[in-house]
Amino acid sequence: MRQPSAMSVQLSAGNSVWRGHCSPRSVILIWILSLSALAFAQDKPILLKGGKLLTVTHGVIENGAIVLYGGKITAVGDASTVRAPAGARVIDVTGMTIYPGLIDSETQLGLTEISAEETSNDLVELSDEIMPHMHTAEAFHAESALIPVARMNGITNAVIAPESADTLPGQDSFIQLAGANATEMLLIRDNAMPLNFTGDQRRNKGGFEKHKFPSTRMGLAAQLRQAFLDAQDYKSKWTDYERKKADAAQNKDKDKDKKPEPLAPKRDLKLEALLPYLEGKKTIVLAAESPSDLETAVSLANEFKLKFVLNHISHSQPVLDYVASLKVPVIVGPIYEAPKEEERYDTVYSLPAQLYERGVKIVFASYSAHNVRNLPDQAGFATAFGLPYDEALKAITINAAEIWGVADQLGSLDVGKTANVVVANGDPLDVKTDVKQVFIAGREVPMTDRQVRLRDEYSK
Amino acid sequence: MRLIPARTLVLYCAWLTMALASAAAFGQSEGTAHHDIVIKNAIVMTVTHGNITNGSIYIKDGKIAAVGETVNAPASATVIDAGGKYLTPGIVDSHSHIALDDDVNEATNPITPQMMMKDAFDYQDKAIYRALAGGVTTSLLLHGSANMIGGQAVVIKHKYGASRDELLFPNAPRSIKFASGENPKRVYGSRDQLPSTRMGNFAVQREALVQAQDYIREWDNYNEKVKRGDKDATPPKHDLKLDALADVLRGKIMVQIHIYRADEMLTEIAMAKEFGYKIRAFHHALEAYKVADQLTANNIAIATFSDWWGYKQEAWDAIPWNATMSTRKGVRVAIKSDSEDYTRRLNQEAAKTMRYGGATEEEALKMITLNPAWIVGVDDRVGSIDVGKDADLVIWDGYPLSTYGVPEKVLIDGDLYFDRSQPGLGTTHYKEGE
Repeated sequence: MRQPSAMSVQLSAGNSVWRGHCSPRSVILIWILSLSALAFAQDKPILLKGGKLLTVTHGVIENGAIVLYGGKITAVGDASTVRAPAGARVIDVTGMTIYPGLIDSETQLGLTEISAEETSNDLVELSDEIMPHMHTAEAFHAESALIPVARMNGITNAVIAPESADTLPGQDSFIQLAGANATEMLLIRDNAMPLNFTGDQRRNKGGFEKHKFPSTRMGLAAQLRQAFLDAQDYKSKWTDYERKKADAAQNKDKDKDKKPEPLAPKRDLKLEALLPYLEGKKTIVLAAESPSDLETAVSLANEFKLKFVLNHISHSQPVLDYVASLKVPVIVGPIYEAPKEEERYDTVYSLPAQLYERGVKIVFASYSAHNVRNLPDQAGFATAFGLPYDEALKAITINAAEIWGVADQLGSLDVGKTANVVVANGDPLDVKTDVKQVFIAGREVPMTDRQVRLRDEYSK
Repeated sequence: MRLIPARTLVLYCAWLTMALASAAAFGQSEGTAHHDIVIKNAIVMTVTHGNITNGSIYIKDGKIAAVGETVNAPASATVIDAGGKYLTPGIVDSHSHIALDDDVNEATNPITPQMMMKDAFDYQDKAIYRALAGGVTTSLLLHGSANMIGGQAVVIKHKYGASRDELLFPNAPRSIKFASGENPKRVYGSRDQLPSTRMGNFAVQREALVQAQDYIREWDNYNEKVKRGDKDATPPKHDLKLDALADVLRGKIMVQIHIYRADEMLTEIAMAKEFGYKIRAFHHALEAYKVADQLTANNIAIATFSDWWGYKQEAWDAIPWNATMSTRKGVRVAIKSDSEDYTRRLNQEAAKTMRYGGATEEEALKMITLNPAWIVGVDDRVGSIDVGKDADLVIWDGYPLSTYGVPEKVLIDGDLYFDRSQPGLGTTHYKEGE
């Protein structure tokens, strides 16, 4: 997996405007705020002193201190031991809770603005079920008003996925929720690809008067299998071509072995997009809900030796031991998914705890655009149904960073990691907690958004 | 696909109306548990007169007979030890479309006041149970928002497992659902029918109300003739539609309006004045914070979301401070679900108002109990822990105004309907397979 290359870039973008505002007037306002914020955040180290640090990886430090410098965390520890670097701005955060920026493992941020307004939606292509050559990175709208709303509640990173109407709707991106522009915010393009097998992809399903393939699960599976077979075939054609080309190059001076220059196969963007997944270089996000769909999807993935994580499995309670035996992480839920008619009310609420008890690594996702800010609520609610608190917090921080291949940079308060840090007035998993300040790559995010501006305008 | 539920909301949000004037007083006569009960050792959150730590409640014949640090109850009373946990009134959801088997919108005409949601009410719908498990004891089931004037609502108690009539809130006042804005104009506009604009919306509404005025006049004339002894007087033809609208104009039905934009709220207020009826509540009301003073002046409550926004154009100016800002301006605010999902955790939604704008614990709790009870018109019977009120109560595992509070036991009319510690569904009246 390609590692994020933009992280260090952000640190040099000291005079850039942070995106995510709407009216011209507010753009100017925020620009001024940003400049003033950046003026001290960019150049000077920051010491947050006196708060309760939830490090995620090495416990809680009750009276802690943390240094953000050059966009990284450069020191973490007890307030009595951490020294302020020369020229540091010291912020007293006594009484506050400090934790790493939260990571949402599936969102549609930047792909929609107003759900019901189709012109604002770039969620999924419906012309075919196999669309692996769609790149969410190429639709990602960095200036979306939704992004500041999400990051004001401490969500600093997110996976962007197309909607799940297709079996292979296209490729995900991994973003940071602040930056000068889309390039800077898109930490990893094409980091993963959903493979959806929930039954919802049967959009051609209808009566016998509707005869469009595929209309059944058999059809969807056959179509998918054919796509991967085609990709295998495509790969061997290219391998063959590369071999012949090398062969020709090697023998170009020997008259008797001279062969004609081989013809390159025609490029096929769809099949090309599948190759890194067929080769196990990138992660498939395998979505299913019920046991039967889950087992079918897993067997398809195994047939082509795909590297995968599971998604949803909200109605797979009867086969959780099987899920555990797969030894793959699960993006669970959302836990608000309604249980089946005959099931107890808390069947899905308790799914994260049941997976955890079987040793499965879990993460949460908002599966949303407008409600990304509510990601921590889901983690908190899962604790009321048996998930240990520390695991709930990990499921929106370090576990997600591990699944998405960025654990060396994100997901905990550890020296050397990107300084995505949240300061709140209490427990990050409680709905009542108010986030006071968010730092992304060491910079103070302006704590305002479209909604704050409306509030202030009508509070006068 | 996860965005879809927010979009379906678009069609649901609507209205309701009526409540069952004809429902007989079922609550007290039958039932399994109208013996004496004492709940002791609870942190009693009364809603109206503060919290009582280590409090007790005495329940007699399904009603709250005493509340305090100690209560006088017969020795024969069943005792429930709350174990120091929180006790609140049952949650009231003032905007719901569950248990209607998707018969939410009769979207064949923009004026359908003769629709009775009771006729679609599916008392066995598991959504009633799932909401009960979230602490909801009373819901207002409304018509959808496809029509400018939708149907008449039904008020239910979540007595899952009881008979249909036992689930109907006895003698609840009637409510009707009006709508406005994007939904009616989209539904009819997409068919090249009236209305397709907001002007069209209000014209259709006004036209219907004018017809109702005429209808009332016809009946008044007839009644006058009969009074004068005119034996030849022939009565006007009964028209279900106009009967319902006439009752709106006569003030016999409470008007619940699906509405988003502030300008439309002002127009609806003007329309109500023009025809002489009162608006009970604006539902959704995401821009109430812009015109809160006018709502207060007209005694109009709101039933709103805590933080939903952006799912449609008219929800673009939604802010999570709406509930608290409106409260500070004197508006009676309810947090409602409009959703089979959110109705299961309205306590969390209410708790968000404590964060956004600093609602007090009591204000937040009121938004899911006494205030929605007022919107439904049953605040004299439910919504707080006061002597004489129905014993609709929730014992919480955890602090209810948080992410962590979940109901442990739910009682309705003093009868235990949900108990988390029970195996299976946790229901005490409904048995699987029945």
